[in-house]
Amino acid sequence: MELEKLLYSTYGFNSFRPGQREVIEEVLKGNNVIALLPTGMGKSMCYQLPAHLLPGSVLIISPLLSLMQDQVAQLKKMGEKSVVAINSFLKPEDKEKIWNSLGQYRFIFISPEMLVQPFVKKQLQRITISLLVADEAHCISQWGFDFRPDYLRIAEVMPLLNHPQVLALTATATSKVTNEIIKYLNIPSPFIYTHPMDRKNVVYDVKRFDDQKRKVEWLKKFVVDCKGPGIVYAGTRKKAQQLATELTNSGLATAFYHGGMEHQDRVFVQQQFQNGELDWVCSTNAFGMGVHIPNIRHVVHFQLPTSVEGYVQEVGRAGRDGKPALATLLYAEGDERLVESIVMDELPTTREIREVYANNTAAERLVEQGIVRETALRVIAYWQSRLPLEGTLRKIEELQMEKIKQVEKIRNLVTIQSCIRQYISKCFEQHLLEKPGNCCVNDGINYSVFQEETKKIEKETPTSWKDRLDALLPS
Amino acid sequence: MLFDELLIAIMKAVNRERTLSSPYHLIKGKKSGQTIQDIGYYGLFPYFAVMPRLEKRFYDQAVDGLFARGFLQENTDVIDLTDMALSSETPATPLDGWRYRGNEQLFLSRLSLTIQTFSHISQKVNSFDPVINSEEIQLWTKNYLRQHNFRAPETVKAFKAQVLASLEETAVPEQHKMILMSRLSGFGFSGLTWEQISANQGIAPLDAQLNLVETLHAWMHIIEQNRHPLLLRLLEGVIQQSSLTESAQRTEKLFARGFTLQQIAELRQLKSSTIEDHVVELAMNDPYFDYSPFISEEIYQTIVHLSREQQTKRLRDIKDKVPAATYFQIRLALAVKQ
Repeated sequence: MELEKLLYSTYGFNSFRPGQREVIEEVLKGNNVIALLPTGMGKSMCYQLPAHLLPGSVLIISPLLSLMQDQVAQLKKMGEKSVVAINSFLKPEDKEKIWNSLGQYRFIFISPEMLVQPFVKKQLQRITISLLVADEAHCISQWGFDFRPDYLRIAEVMPLLNHPQVLALTATATSKVTNEIIKYLNIPSPFIYTHPMDRKNVVYDVKRFDDQKRKVEWLKKFVVDCKGPGIVYAGTRKKAQQLATELTNSGLATAFYHGGMEHQDRVFVQQQFQNGELDWVCSTNAFGMGVHIPNIRHVVHFQLPTSVEGYVQEVGRAGRDGKPALATLLYAEGDERLVESIVMDELPTTREIREVYANNTAAERLVEQGIVRETALRVIAYWQSRLPLEGTLRKIEELQMEKIKQVEKIRNLVTIQSCIRQYISKCFEQHLLEKPGNCCVNDGINYSVFQEETKKIEKETPTSWKDRLDALLPS
Repeated sequence: MLFDELLIAIMKAVNRERTLSSPYHLIKGKKSGQTIQDIGYYGLFPYFAVMPRLEKRFYDQAVDGLFARGFLQENTDVIDLTDMALSSETPATPLDGWRYRGNEQLFLSRLSLTIQTFSHISQKVNSFDPVINSEEIQLWTKNYLRQHNFRAPETVKAFKAQVLASLEETAVPEQHKMILMSRLSGFGFSGLTWEQISANQGIAPLDAQLNLVETLHAWMHIIEQNRHPLLLRLLEGVIQQSSLTESAQRTEKLFARGFTLQQIAELRQLKSSTIEDHVVELAMNDPYFDYSPFISEEIYQTIVHLSREQQTKRLRDIKDKVPAATYFQIRLALAVKQ
C-alpha cells in the first residue's frame, strides 16, 4: 500500500503495471535483481521509484546515446529534475560542473565507454551509489542479438564501486543470456523476474511471395485496406526510402526513418507519428526506441528480421494500448540470403582481425584509412586484450555460427505449420499457458478486428507562411 | 539562390586557382588556414559556413551535375569553369556567412523551442516532447521564457506580432519563409523533414536547406536593427564579435605578450604551421598589421608585385619565381596586400 501511495504522489499513477511491484519490492529488500519485462511495460519505473527511497544515487548504464537521451527526456517530462547524462558528447565546461555535484544527482545515466575511463571511475568512487542499473542487459551477452563489447567491461568497475546492488533490465533474454548476465556482473543467485514474452493482443501473420515486386504490390493494397498507424520495417535504408515513396504515391501520409537522416529530421518524423500526422512510417530497425505511441495497430516486416529476439522487440511496439494489433511478416524465396549478409556484416572479418593484430599500436589509423570498420575495431580490441590471434579468430567464427543459427530460427518461423505464438515462446524457453482466440496465421486469423477505422483528426494544411504561423500560434 | 548557383559563385572567384574540394571546405566552414585566408583573398565572406553539416557525397553529386551540364570542364589540378559558367549571372543573396558562422542554427533552435512552448502553453497543454534535445539550448530557452513571463497571453501575442512584422520586412521570396515555418513545430503541427518540404514545394532538399539559411541571415539582419526586442534576445551570443577564430585570438594575445611563434606553438601544443595560419588570419583582418617581424620588405614587395602582374594567388607559382620566400611568407604577403 505504501508503495502505491508513493507511486501516486511521485508520478501520479494509480497502480503498478504487471511486474513492476514484484521487482521494486525485491530491489528495496536489497537483493540483486534481473527483470525480464517486455518493451513498453514500464521497465524504468523499476529503478525510478526505488530512487526515491534509497539513500544515494542510482547509476544507470545505457548502451545507446539515443536511448539515453530519450530516457533522460522521459524522466524530465515526469518531473524529475535531478538527472544527469554522462557521455562523450559532454562539453568540458559542463563536465566540471557535473563532477563537482555528482553525488547530488538522483539519477546518473552513463555510457559504458565513459564508465571505464579512469577519471570517471575515480569520480564515481567518491559518491554513494545505492543501485547500479544495467539497462538493456542482454547487450552483455556475446550470444545475444545485440552484443556490445563495452558492456562486458561493467564488470571491471564493480569492485571499485564496492559491488553495489544491481538491477539488470532487459526485454529479451534466454537462460543462456541470463546466465551470462549473472556471471559477468558477478551477482550470484539474483532474484529473477520473468514476465511472459507473449503479448495476447498481437496476432502473428506470415505472407509468402514469389518475388519482391509482389510484396510491394501486396503492401500497397494492405496499407490502404488496413489504415494505420503502422510501422513497416524494411531491411535497409534504401528500401525504407523506396517503400515510403510508394506509399506516399498511393496517397497515404507516410514518411521514412533511418539512421542516415539528420537528427532534426528524425525528431520530426517521430513527432509527426506521435501526433497522428502520419499513418505509416517505413524504417530500418533504428525506429522504435523513444517512440511512445500506444495505438500502433500494425507492424509489417518487409524483410526477414535478423533474429527472433529482434523480431519480438519490433513487434512489441504494436498494440501497447491492449487492443488488437497485427504483426505481418513478408517473405519471398531467398530473403534469408540478404539477412545472412547483413548479419555477417556486423561482425569483424578475418582480414580485419589480422590487420588489427598486426598493427598493434596503430589500430585507430586503420579505421581512418578505411581498412577496418570502427564497429569491428571495438569488438576486436576487446578480444585482443584477452586472446591471441588464433583465439579471436575462433571466437568470431563461433559468433558467426551463432548468428547463422539465429537466422535459421527466424527462417523457420516462416515455414512452420504449427502455432507461431508457441514457436516464439519456445525460442525464449517459455511455456505458453493460454492461447488467445485470434492467434496466428497457422491457427486462422480473424482480420475484421483490425479493419476498425481509427479516428483521424482532419487538419487543414497551411499553404502560406502566415497560415502556418497562425496554426502554430493561434491567436 | 540555388545550391548550384552557390557553387558557381564560389568557383568563379577561385577559378583555376583552387581545387574542386575548396568550395566544400568553405561551405562547411572549415577553420583551416587555407580556407580562412581564401575568404580574404577572394572576397568569399558571404559563403563561409553556410551549410556546416553538408555531407561530402551530396557536394560531390552536385559537382558531377555541373560537369554533366557543361559548367565545369575536366582539369586534373584545379576548378576549371566553362565560358557558359563564367558568363552566368550570380544571383543576389542575403547570405552573410562570415558574420553568422553557422550560428543561425543556434538561433533557429532557440526559436523552435520558444514557439513550441508558446504553442502548447497558449493552448493549455503543459507537457510535450521538446523538439530540440540539446540540454544547453533547453536551459537557455527556459531562462529566456521565464524572464519574459511566458504564460501570459500578452507575451505570446507580442512575440507572434514581432515575428510577423520582422519577417514581412525580410526581403526573401514567400516560399523561403514557408520553408522556415515548415521547420518549426507546435501543438498538433510537427516540423517537416527536408524530404517532405522538397516534395511539397517542388524543390531539391539541398536548395531548400540553402534557402532556409538565406532566410535566417536576412531575417537576423532585420532583427539586429533592434525594433523587435523579444527576437533580439534570441540572438544572444549568436553573432561573432570578433572577425577572428577563437584560436587565432589566443595566438594574438600570446604574440602581443612577446612570445615567438615557436614558443606559442610549444605553449599551446599546436603545430607551428597552425600558428602561422593564425598570423595570416590576423594579417587578413587587421588593416594596420605589422608584417616586418616575419618578412623583409624586399621579399614582401617582390611577392605582391608578382601576384599582381601574373594575376595569380597560387602559392606554387609564386614560390617557383621567388624561391627565397617560405610558403608562410607568401601567404602572409598575399593576406596583407588586401
